[in-house]
Amino acid sequence: MALSLKRLRSLPKGETDRVIGRDARTNQFPDAGAIDDVVNAPVYVHPLKTPMWWIIGFCISLFFLSIYITSVVYLIAKGTGIWGNNIPTAWAMPIINFVWWIGIGHAGTLISAALLLFRQDWRTSINRFAEAMTIFAVVCAGLYPILHLGRPWVFYWLMPYPNTYGLFPQFRSPLAWDVFAISTYGSVSILFWFIGLIPDLATIRDRHPYKFGKIFYGTLALGWRGSAKHWQRYMRAYLLLAAISFPLVLSVHSTISFDFAVSNLPGWNNTIMPPYFVAGAVFAGFAMVLILAIPLRKVYGLEHLITMKHLDNSAKLMLATGLFVVYGYGVECFIAWYSGAETERYMLYNRVFGSDYGWAFWVLIFCNGVAIQPLWWKRVRYNVWWLFGISIIVSIGMWFERYVIVAITLTRDFLPSSWGLYVPTFWDWAMFIGSMGLFCTLFFLFIRLLPTIATSEMKETNWHLSHVGDPSLRYKENEEEL
Amino acid sequence: MNIDKSREILSGAREFGSDLSSSAEEKFELTVIGVAEEPEFDNTAESVQVIRERLAELDQSEGKTYWRSLEELSETEEFQAYLEQEFPRQSAPLESGLDRREFMKLLGASLALGGLTACVRPNPQEKIVPYVRAPEEIIPGKPIMYASAITQNGYAQGVLVENHNGRPTRLEGNPSQPGSMGSIDAQTTAEILRMYDPDRSKEVLQGGSSSDWDSFSEAVSSLDGNIAILTGTVTSPTLASKIDAVLNARSGAKWYQYSPQNADNVLAGSEIAFGSWIVPQYNFEEADIVLSLDADFVNSGPAKLKYARAFSDRRRVRTGEDTMNRLYMVESTPTSTGAMADHRLPMAASAVEGFAREVAAAVGLGSTDSHAALPDGWMDALVDDLTNHASVVVAGDEQPPIVHAIAAAINEAIGAVGRTVTYHKPAMAKPEIQSESIKFLVDDMNSGKIDTLVMIDSNPVYDAPADLDFAAALDNVATSIHLGLYNDETAVRSSWHVPQANELESWGDARAFDGTISIIQPQIQPIYGGKSPLEVLSLFLGTADTAYDSIRAFWQSAASGGDFNLFWNHVLYNGVVDDTASAPMRARAKSTIFDEPASHGADGIEIVFRPDPNIGSGKYSNSSWLQELPKPFTKLTWDNAALISPKLAEAEGLKSKDVINITVGDKSIDAPVWIMPGQAEKTITLHTGYGRTNAGKVGNGIGFDANVLRTNEHAHFVSASITKTRKKYKLVSTQLHGILESDGIGDRHITRGGTLADFQAHPEHPGFVHPVAHHASDLYDDFEYDGYAWGMVVDQTVCNGCNACITACQSENNIPVVGKDQVAVGREMQWLRVDAYYGGSVDNPEFFSQPVACMHCEKAPCEPVCPFGATVHDADGLNVMVYNRCGGTRYCSNNCPYKVRRFNFLQYAELEENAMALLQNPDVTVRSRGVMEKCTYCIQRIQQAYITSENEDRTIADGDVVTACQSACPTQAIVFGDINDENSEVAKVRKSKLNYGLFEELNTVPRTTYLARITNPHPSLAVASSYGSDSHGSDTHGAEEGGH
Amino acid sequence: MPQYFPPNSNAFAKWSIIGGLIFFTLLLTCLAIYVRSYRNRVNVPVSQPIPFSHALHAGELGVDCRYCHTSVEVAASANIPPVETCMTCHSQIRQGSPRLYPLYASWDQAIPGVNDTASLEAGTNAPAPNSERLEWNRVHDLADFVYFNHSAHINKGVGCSSCHGEVNRMEGMWKNEQMSMGWCLECHKAPEKHVRPIDEVFNANYKKPTNQIALGKQLVEEYHINTDKLPQCSTCHR
Repeated sequence: MALSLKRLRSLPKGETDRVIGRDARTNQFPDAGAIDDVVNAPVYVHPLKTPMWWIIGFCISLFFLSIYITSVVYLIAKGTGIWGNNIPTAWAMPIINFVWWIGIGHAGTLISAALLLFRQDWRTSINRFAEAMTIFAVVCAGLYPILHLGRPWVFYWLMPYPNTYGLFPQFRSPLAWDVFAISTYGSVSILFWFIGLIPDLATIRDRHPYKFGKIFYGTLALGWRGSAKHWQRYMRAYLLLAAISFPLVLSVHSTISFDFAVSNLPGWNNTIMPPYFVAGAVFAGFAMVLILAIPLRKVYGLEHLITMKHLDNSAKLMLATGLFVVYGYGVECFIAWYSGAETERYMLYNRVFGSDYGWAFWVLIFCNGVAIQPLWWKRVRYNVWWLFGISIIVSIGMWFERYVIVAITLTRDFLPSSWGLYVPTFWDWAMFIGSMGLFCTLFFLFIRLLPTIATSEMKETNWHLSHVGDPSLRYKENEEEL
Repeated sequence: MNIDKSREILSGAREFGSDLSSSAEEKFELTVIGVAEEPEFDNTAESVQVIRERLAELDQSEGKTYWRSLEELSETEEFQAYLEQEFPRQSAPLESGLDRREFMKLLGASLALGGLTACVRPNPQEKIVPYVRAPEEIIPGKPIMYASAITQNGYAQGVLVENHNGRPTRLEGNPSQPGSMGSIDAQTTAEILRMYDPDRSKEVLQGGSSSDWDSFSEAVSSLDGNIAILTGTVTSPTLASKIDAVLNARSGAKWYQYSPQNADNVLAGSEIAFGSWIVPQYNFEEADIVLSLDADFVNSGPAKLKYARAFSDRRRVRTGEDTMNRLYMVESTPTSTGAMADHRLPMAASAVEGFAREVAAAVGLGSTDSHAALPDGWMDALVDDLTNHASVVVAGDEQPPIVHAIAAAINEAIGAVGRTVTYHKPAMAKPEIQSESIKFLVDDMNSGKIDTLVMIDSNPVYDAPADLDFAAALDNVATSIHLGLYNDETAVRSSWHVPQANELESWGDARAFDGTISIIQPQIQPIYGGKSPLEVLSLFLGTADTAYDSIRAFWQSAASGGDFNLFWNHVLYNGVVDDTASAPMRARAKSTIFDEPASHGADGIEIVFRPDPNIGSGKYSNSSWLQELPKPFTKLTWDNAALISPKLAEAEGLKSKDVINITVGDKSIDAPVWIMPGQAEKTITLHTGYGRTNAGKVGNGIGFDANVLRTNEHAHFVSASITKTRKKYKLVSTQLHGILESDGIGDRHITRGGTLADFQAHPEHPGFVHPVAHHASDLYDDFEYDGYAWGMVVDQTVCNGCNACITACQSENNIPVVGKDQVAVGREMQWLRVDAYYGGSVDNPEFFSQPVACMHCEKAPCEPVCPFGATVHDADGLNVMVYNRCGGTRYCSNNCPYKVRRFNFLQYAELEENAMALLQNPDVTVRSRGVMEKCTYCIQRIQQAYITSENEDRTIADGDVVTACQSACPTQAIVFGDINDENSEVAKVRKSKLNYGLFEELNTVPRTTYLARITNPHPSLAVASSYGSDSHGSDTHGAEEGGH
Repeated sequence: MPQYFPPNSNAFAKWSIIGGLIFFTLLLTCLAIYVRSYRNRVNVPVSQPIPFSHALHAGELGVDCRYCHTSVEVAASANIPPVETCMTCHSQIRQGSPRLYPLYASWDQAIPGVNDTASLEAGTNAPAPNSERLEWNRVHDLADFVYFNHSAHINKGVGCSSCHGEVNRMEGMWKNEQMSMGWCLECHKAPEKHVRPIDEVFNANYKKPTNQIALGKQLVEEYHINTDKLPQCSTCHR
């Protein structure tokens, strides 16, 4: 029987468990179906009975999406000049946002692929929406480099294809590498995500209360019947893809970092860039996972699937990567001094004490360095409010990091006569906010139409619990949280 | 095909209105920024104090230091907060919003990302319209150069006009004309733009309403009563004879002359000195020592190109053996000449007379009680030089007559006459003191003596001295006729306005400063139906002679025998009439000169009026090229400012962009200030030519009108009082964008220089040229260039920052104008810029001008980072920019250490077909939005030379390729050619030990290199002024460098 | 639970994947071909105000290319002949032919019975002199950012027919080659495949010899054709 979200949420505390028959002590579900019901409940809801909070949220996202579309149209009508970019600051907010989004897109693959390979079972309850997040973030990111072109309509020249010019892209350029890095990352993530979805889609097909749902999900399920053969092939494919996409976790952002590392600008030309960028990406990615997970588990009553243990682990990862990022800042400073190059030293001086942009540096030090320190304490890691707050701060901090690296470095390079300032315009912001709108729109659609947790994997884990039993999944602490 | 090509070019035209109208509105009034917004700024006395301290400390720490602006030096919080605030925020530059329909259209396009829609667009069918009878000399697609001349303040500057199928596109200097010497200044280059300017008046106006030529000529024929003719300075023999004819034909007719830039002081001075009107000409070729009394001889006056060339020829130092002249300069406000001086002294304009008398006394002429505050030994050194070398003293046109007289006396005393200075009959057709002439005219007008006033090519309502109130006087004249290019301030107050034909559209003639006559021949039919002065005057003689008739007629009578057509063709071909230069005259200075009463400099605040260095005193107000051209040293664009000295700023608590109120007598104006290093302490410089109300779309309402304070008596300098207002004005400079710290410039050795003595001491390894050891080492091999290898060398010793090269480049390469707002956010498009640097003290710095364009690095950082492969190297080692392949990632600009790349952030180039389209150079692609562009070494010229040489199966000879900037440069500071050719000029110059590459330590191997700036101070005054070198710079380092 | 999907839907799912791939590849190819042929109208005769026949003039009558295209050896453009040039013959030959109407209409002199007002009144449908401009339709139209130079090719042994085809057989006039950048580069990268002896340049019937490559190499040597510079951007783009 399907059980509506409303009903589930209306139940008094603890009742939930009784209804779905969960053993709070062992955290086991006697009836695997119960997991489906909890997770898929929102999907079964009839379109006309869509909860109000979703409709409102979705409309708000749509509004911001429309801002995005407007600014894109205006951009193509008028040209790059609607932004604050200038000479010397030829790259600015579009690139900053691009790197920011790509960074966010990292946690997904890390969780799904890396943790899968490392057999971290706790991942199963967060990997689905983390992957979704990844894909949406990559969409947002991927559009920027194209729109950033002076002539966006010739973006396809960046693809090697036979043409009447007899020309190919210029492969020495990191930007040419980006094209492949991002497109690969995007396609692999989507594939990985969809394959993971198939069994769950089949479940939904079978249990969906309405005909249109059965047909819709049935089509998506591509005729999955859960036969042993299916499962065996599925598992192999899934593992294979995990193996393929694992290197991407490192490669993609390394490639992005080459955009800067390969150039000759003081402050860009720096060997620390690749690891530093990857760490930053994972850092930002987990921050975003927490930002999304914390409300999600609340509204969908998934506290016992996405438990505090998960948030705790994410927070630990965040802390670790955050510390690495801080180390990165240290290295940058050291190199600047060690290089002995006037320009390098001045670049650092300007970043840190520069009159017009020095503040940005200290903002990012606070956000990425200071703000994460509380995570050393378990109490903090087990307090959703703290986690949420810190994650927000970290996301902001990571944006500022890119701001400092991209814009501020450019305003002061070699020749003082052409130093300048950079001031973002209305359209810079409109496009940034708008891209968030795009992200949220997609995410709302996702939580409405697809299972936000990989139920098949959960069931598997659950089976492990009931038959093998996994102490790591027995909690005492999370009781009071619930 | 030819017509067709030009049609293609038409499809890439530039038009001003659209770009500039947006900026025009808010340009008008001084934009007032509420005081509230203003960050608390305790008075600048302190911040200038800070500057001094910083300089002091920097001096100790890093020897000589560079700084580019006072802002940069001062690091007070307030100041930076202030600058931040002041930094122009960008308002999204869209004038009109999108309507729904357009929006939906774009929506579709944008969703398809324009790509697909773009590639299924069919090509429109182009037409080819052949000639009916093809003109013999025209080979389609090949330009023809015609010799002609453009007059500046009446004096001819010889030009060669590039003409594409009957369409003039560009002006270059005429080597055989003394006023040009093959060079051309920014203004004359921009004359072509002025000709096509769509704002030019296009129809005859009667009392403001449209009329036509016929009714005008009727009106003229029926005129009676006294006629007065007002012209600018006239040197044209034909025009003069025409005017005389009118004067003879119509009894009571009178001829007045007035031009805001005139030779009054020179003439009056010669009156005092010699009792007759004669003018000096200087032979700087001969002069070892030059003393300039507030004379900007290299960048103003009719002879500037000649003088700049001759003066610079004596300053070209390549080896330790070379010698150079020495320039002593006293001046009230920094000028290009002052920037070249070996000893420069800021001095109030009114104090110069006293100084001159001192010098005179020192060489044994007269006696004086005045004692200018001079640095120790200055006068001794000066006098020592003047008396022991071939010397000359030059007095500035803005200086009063007595100074010219004294200068003449000194020149005679030091035996300069006949050697370094000769005296000549003025080139003016009718020499007169114009300030008197205009005064008489106004008196006659007011007393109703004049029934008809004909104003030819002059705009007295705007530029006549304010105290005469010409506008009011004009109302007393029954019939006022104005002939001019624009419907300007005078035109709108005249009963008749006749559109004038530009000098490129009409026949005429004019004299150069030395009397040499040039024939002005039209390049195209008057495109806006203008009439030449000769045609208008013919009407008064009752004839309908065309300008051509008049010119032919005059010269037929003037030409001495022989076959006239032969003579005529010869003259037109050369652009000059042979042997018309005036011969030197003997002249003895009177002894009575020093009986003249000595006047003493006022010690209060003094205003100096100067024509704007770019747009002159109003002639080029509507020229967007010149408006956007960064002014020398200040790098200001689109505005004029009151230049004040740091000391004055200190005293008055002023900072740049503050608005002050300047009062002279009962007149006063508001003007934004700009702190100008090297300005005389209590002198405020105001540039005329701004604050126009009827200049045209571009020139209207920009800046403030300084003429308001300018009286007939004090036309050049006058004492005034100022009060600080609480207003602010957005001045836009191309070099000061938020630059605050002087740190980080110290050890970059961007411009380098030293004294001739230093160089002679170490002719092989001058320390100041390669202060830091640099061992060229690279993982990659150098590229091989066995064919041509184009390269450029810029001699910083003779570059005086006159900007001629920038405009020449703009004209040659179809560079668009972007408008004040875009310049404000750092998007100016000029491919070539002249960076200004100051060295030494704030009050009397050393000036450096460094032209910077694409360096064409052999290992160009821009190339490997372009994903489209749109910027690549060719076999000649050129760094070529392929516009049509450029997608606009702008990565190349990021990676360019010299920031010489320019990006079309918006659609700057106008793609509509209109009059301005005719201006485009058909050999250069017009760039669209979203495309990067930069200096190409004028590749179109290289390719042209290459194809020609290949067709003739030979190699390109040195001098076959001349870049636009090089051809314009008055001082020939730019040398270009094939560096693989041992015998080429550029190869030789590159061998000089003064040759260095900008940021060569980055291993970019730039093809454009610089010669360190050499100065030649008097040994007794020589300070260790070797710029660029620092504590760890030494000769041995230079030695290691040598190989690179 | 009722069956919503027929048994064969799995097969359908499989095939739809392959089918989709095929469909899209086809679509793209068609689009590409369509766009390309639509843009550069290769081998499509362009209509002209006067049905001028190169076949007649250059072919049968054997008029040299340079008789009309005067500047082809010295300038970038080959030049479209002025009306005057046509009139050197057509003031006598085919006088008054209605097919030459635009020619006479554009001519600036009155020719009795051909384009004078008198004959107009006489009721013949002759044009008045100077009444219309002669406007040819352009056939070869390169992009504005391409700077092609005829003289550079003619003087280095690139024949007219190499690009324009056998004009002397063309009744109408059309583009004989695609004239895309790739096409230009074919020759700019390997000129020896196309250069011919200078004296054969204007020979429209010229056929490549069997030893073209050998000959070509020798000619490239002889004519000092700089093969380094040829394939470079700056050669055609400024």
